[in-house]
Amino acid sequence: MTDSTADTTALTAPVPREKFRLPWGLVLGVSTIGALILFWALASWAGWASPVFLPSPARVWAALNRVATDGYANATLLEHMGASLWRVFAALFFTMLIGVPVGLLIATSKIGRGILDPLVEFIRPLPPLAYLPLIIIWCGIGEGSKILVIGIAMLAPIVISTVSGVKAAGENQIRAARTFGATRAQLIREVMLPAALPSIFTGMRIALGAGWTTLVASELVAATRGLGYMIQSAAQFLVTDMVIAGILVISVLATLSEILLRWMERRFLPWIGKS
Amino acid sequence: MSVLNLSHVSLSYDGTPAPVLKDITLSLSQGDFISVIGRSGSGKTSLMNLAAGFLRPSSGQVTIGGRPVTGPGPDRAVVFQDDALFPWRTVVGNVALPLKLAGVARDEREATARRWLASVHLEGQEDKHIWQLSGGQRQRVGIARALASGPDFLLMDEPLGALDAMTRDRMHELLLQLWDQSHTGALLITHSVEEALFLSTSVVVLAPDPGRISFQEDYDYGRRFIRGEDPRALKSEPGFIAARERLLAAIYEKEPV
Repeated sequence: MTDSTADTTALTAPVPREKFRLPWGLVLGVSTIGALILFWALASWAGWASPVFLPSPARVWAALNRVATDGYANATLLEHMGASLWRVFAALFFTMLIGVPVGLLIATSKIGRGILDPLVEFIRPLPPLAYLPLIIIWCGIGEGSKILVIGIAMLAPIVISTVSGVKAAGENQIRAARTFGATRAQLIREVMLPAALPSIFTGMRIALGAGWTTLVASELVAATRGLGYMIQSAAQFLVTDMVIAGILVISVLATLSEILLRWMERRFLPWIGKS
Repeated sequence: MSVLNLSHVSLSYDGTPAPVLKDITLSLSQGDFISVIGRSGSGKTSLMNLAAGFLRPSSGQVTIGGRPVTGPGPDRAVVFQDDALFPWRTVVGNVALPLKLAGVARDEREATARRWLASVHLEGQEDKHIWQLSGGQRQRVGIARALASGPDFLLMDEPLGALDAMTRDRMHELLLQLWDQSHTGALLITHSVEEALFLSTSVVVLAPDPGRISFQEDYDYGRRFIRGEDPRALKSEPGFIAARERLLAAIYEKEPV
């Protein structure tokens, strides 16, 4: 196991293989999900709830296959997924474009903080369903307002994580840059922004969570595609197996995007956790 | 040749009536190596922060070549105790940053940074990440970064404080060589009497409450090392040992034994 044993045996015998260790986190995670599905199957098989309230896993699987091949609510699963993914990631992109500079302004300028901090704190607790009608009245029923509804929910996590990330820059790191004659813009670009990146990444992960949460609300009005729209169409006709199928797809997409972000973090910010 | 001058400088922090530093007068020319030593709380770091321009004096003046210092600048490079390197940049990227900010073209700043890394004996480490280096290597990156932009003054706040004794001895010799080659005026904050005595052309003792200069004496051990004398022989000379006792007595405000 240790390096020293590997070193002494390397010349004579093949290096001993590292003892296999069960990835306990993964095992526990998979077993929890498995147990849940098992309990679900048992509950619907024993008839504890009417199939309208709780369709069996098999019926949900069939619904998934149905929407994947024949489509449901005017589009196939892939088209629904594409529409929703586009909205969530477009919202993330535009929110980053606005939220990171806003966070930098709040963190580095008293005037910026005075003006922008109350605005962000005002937007932060608003429920999407509350501002959805306003957005539609102001901006119409097009793709833009759907992205806007999601983006508003993402703004606070991005801004707040940027602000707290800038504070992670060490006092002496900032002083060092000032002795190099750094201008204010250079100080932000070369020290504060890179120091804030780990925190901004955490903010992106929280924002994506908020985005998926808001997806159904954003597709409430005048959508013809999207997982949220698909779920609502199914709900109106009590097609519960399709509702659950949609929920599962959203949860899988959210998990995949979380994994993607964690991979990007390791790939692009290798210094995290190493001082 | 440039001179960094502190004349009758006092410093009080906002809201506290007792001054941290009182009536400090000190002159650092290029080619000088001044060490500041004193008990904790004597205001050593505040003195360096004043010279660097991070703090402004409450009264008195800090000037360079007669012109008042209004903030930090590339003429005074600083080496920090906590190295203050940027983990998002590679070793060479850290050393090249001051040149980048000064507008030096990429190829040129890379070459200059690599040259400075070679002079602190870090050849082959240029493309590593900061966290892959040892504490001593990181401090050498910090020193290379400070010298890369060709400052007139090198201000160091206990840069060797966290290093082990053997690494420190090697760093002393390296520091003297770099000081000699770079023709800077060096100001070193330290709590090691031997370090101050071996390196400096002049040692200043700060007494606490309020921080004030209680003793100052000139030495030539560092210059003699540069001229080729053996460091162990220098450090065991009777004169060196007597000077060490004088400094210790000044620090603890007692008569020398």
